[in-house]
Amino acid sequence: MKSPDTGKNIIIAGVGGQGILLFSNILSQFYMNLGYELKISDVVGLGQRGGGVESHFRYSNKPVLSPFIKAGDVDYVISFEQTETLRFLHCLKADGVVLTSTYELTSSTVNTGLQKDLSESKTEIIKRSGKKVFAIDPTEHKSPDFDISKMMNVVMLGFYAQFRGYAHDDMTDIIKESVPKRFIEGNLKAYELGTTISDGNLVAE
Amino acid sequence: MKMMNGNEAVARGAFEAGVKVAAGYPGTPSTEVMEYTHQRYPDIYCEWSTNEKVAVEVAIGASFAGYRSFALMKTVGLNVAADALCGAAGSQINGGLVLVVSDDVGRIAGGDYNDCRHFGNMFNIPVLEPSDSQDAKDFMVRAFEISEEYSTPVILKTTSVTCKTKSRVVIDEDYTYEARFRHTYPVSFSKVVMTTIMMKAKDSTHPKLTKYFNDFVENIDRLARDSNDSDLNKLELNGSKIGVITAGTPYYYVKEVLPEASVLKLGLIMPLPEKKIRALAEHVEALYVIEDGHDILEKNIKDLGVWVIGKELFPKFPHMTRFTPDVIEEKLVPDAPKRTPQKDVPFRLPISCAGCSHLFVAQTLKKHKIKAATDVTCGIIGCFPHMEAYSLEKCMGASIAMAHGYTIANENKEDFVAVIGDGGFWATGINGLMNLIYNNGQSTTIIVDNSCLAMTGGQNVPSSEFGFNYKPENKLDITKVCEAIGIKDIVTVDPHKVESLEAAILNAVNAKTNSVVIVQKPCVTRFKLPKDTPSYIDQDLCTQCRQCLHVGCLAIERKAGEGSHQIVINEDLCTGCRLCSTVCKQEAIQP
Ligand code: SF4
Ligand code: SF4
Ligand code: SF4
Repeated sequence: MKSPDTGKNIIIAGVGGQGILLFSNILSQFYMNLGYELKISDVVGLGQRGGGVESHFRYSNKPVLSPFIKAGDVDYVISFEQTETLRFLHCLKADGVVLTSTYELTSSTVNTGLQKDLSESKTEIIKRSGKKVFAIDPTEHKSPDFDISKMMNVVMLGFYAQFRGYAHDDMTDIIKESVPKRFIEGNLKAYELGTTISDGNLVAE
Repeated sequence: MKMMNGNEAVARGAFEAGVKVAAGYPGTPSTEVMEYTHQRYPDIYCEWSTNEKVAVEVAIGASFAGYRSFALMKTVGLNVAADALCGAAGSQINGGLVLVVSDDVGRIAGGDYNDCRHFGNMFNIPVLEPSDSQDAKDFMVRAFEISEEYSTPVILKTTSVTCKTKSRVVIDEDYTYEARFRHTYPVSFSKVVMTTIMMKAKDSTHPKLTKYFNDFVENIDRLARDSNDSDLNKLELNGSKIGVITAGTPYYYVKEVLPEASVLKLGLIMPLPEKKIRALAEHVEALYVIEDGHDILEKNIKDLGVWVIGKELFPKFPHMTRFTPDVIEEKLVPDAPKRTPQKDVPFRLPISCAGCSHLFVAQTLKKHKIKAATDVTCGIIGCFPHMEAYSLEKCMGASIAMAHGYTIANENKEDFVAVIGDGGFWATGINGLMNLIYNNGQSTTIIVDNSCLAMTGGQNVPSSEFGFNYKPENKLDITKVCEAIGIKDIVTVDPHKVESLEAAILNAVNAKTNSVVIVQKPCVTRFKLPKDTPSYIDQDLCTQCRQCLHVGCLAIERKAGEGSHQIVINEDLCTGCRLCSTVCKQEAIQP
């Protein structure tokens, strides 16, 4: 029998405009409904303008103390941009899991030659990290039903929920309440795609 | 029970405290306090004032009228409002008067390492600091009680962490709003005036004189004594090895990393509960102070004659911009594991939204080698090294006066203009413009009017066509104001019409007289302007000269391809504004 989940520490990362807030709001409602204590801390720079965004998401069956997760205590890094994924790899527990998009928004310093980019492929560095890594390439999953460049957050939510073995109805109910009416259908399609990719990955493993 | 971030909780606290008037100026991270107050609690009058000093003055007036009121700003804003606060400090308070001020701790990009607690020390006023959202709501209510009980303005200090952290808050579900009213004093003078009258007439019983008496020194001393018994300050005696005095979110970092430690959690950080501090000092072998921001608690505690370890162990800015649990673990937990981040991950400089009108202005000035000063607008990004369009940047509203000073000193031998946003213009820039005219200045001001305060998410300014108290007939007109001030040359241009923008700026600069160019286009992002077909780069024509990258548009990227690099345009981000095409000599960028 699986021992009950006492809580997890999750870092959600990406760049401004990727819907990190929506992702963490949905997840927060989900865990609230399950009766967990929560603390969610958003570190938003000038997010609107291509800055990094990180959210420290903690749920627990005991009161959560620090709003920031200490390096080494992270169970999941869920990241929508792979440069940002790299920033948090060292924070993972030994058995921590990485769920990352391979999307990349080149930083302005690299664009203009102020800084050198890493010489190796970032996806490869992430895969070599020794952690359990799931990397999703959004360009491989383009769909006529929704714009994956905007809804990668919900795709990854589906992936995460499937990976954790959660009841999808509970999650999709919250999605329906959280997004504007005209976007519900696209979001549900995106969610479903996430669960399917997750299934494929888990079988292949 | 509700999940709320600190900003929501402060707004709820204002509601439960029966606040009647809220005035503020937007500033990350606390802008949302006003937005939530306005959205959720329509009983409370809300305004975005023209600047922070005005906001504090509005709140003082409302408080004197007998109603609880608060002013909202970030700490850089309190620098602007300090004179108003100074006047209120030590004077009689009728309705509770609270300043909600946020320190932007940990922001490396913000040129801002301020600490609002200095104003508590300087003006002798109480400062409260919450550690989570429950505190934020509760302390907001307590702040008003303290303000009235001890006749003093109170600062409620939040930080970028408390503002942006969500946690559960117990709220009074049955609470019904009632604007609290208390009118005790018929007159309220600033401290200095009152002191003068009191010194001369302390023994007088004449009612005309006694009404001025306000023993503000005794008030704050009484609060200091009472603070020893106040539940705002929690002394948790535990192990005797390590003792920590802390406040704000660092309290929780300490609880997590040092569960054995004895801790004094200060909610009222000024004045200090001396007895509780001494009790902790006697209980432990080593006493640390763990505080975000400057070393203010540390100094105040040392002034009491209690030795604490602070910045000698935890060096402050620029070594550290804020505490994290990791920092505490590294220094105070023996054999803490070392974890090294991935090396050489490129950092991110802020960059302008695709299609932003600021980019058009920056590009035009760069092309014609016209130097410029800017202030804190989205245009600030033009100063960063990937663009290098402007050479001088300082505080909100500063650019007009700085350009005036530069031009005077330089005897107008060099082209040097001011670039300012509509927000900065109304905040304090307008003073610079009046000053320029009346002192016979001859420089050019470019006002980038995007119909809102874009940098903080698009709040209203006096020339916006929306806002909490908006009425079309009260909309202020930038052109008319400039005319009234006496500017000789005023033109308005659409930045996306590159040629007319260029002509307008060159004409203005070459005339060597006082002039204003109003660059008008609503903020692309705030108003979700319709997009044109995205541009793309013809890779056969592109020589990878990177000129287009220096335009500073978020949509243009240098991407690693198979073994080589390409300069590409992200079609999801591109708004089709065509600015980049104007810099490409190869004509590689096409619609
Ligand atoms: S928020 Fe508006 S003004 Fe600011 S960079 Fe973006 S488009 Fe420009
Ligand atoms: S300016 Fe033109 S040639 Fe130069 S990198 Fe850009 S697209 Fe290529
Ligand atoms: S046309 Fe060029 S400058 Fe304009 S948004 Fe697109 S990439 Fe950016």
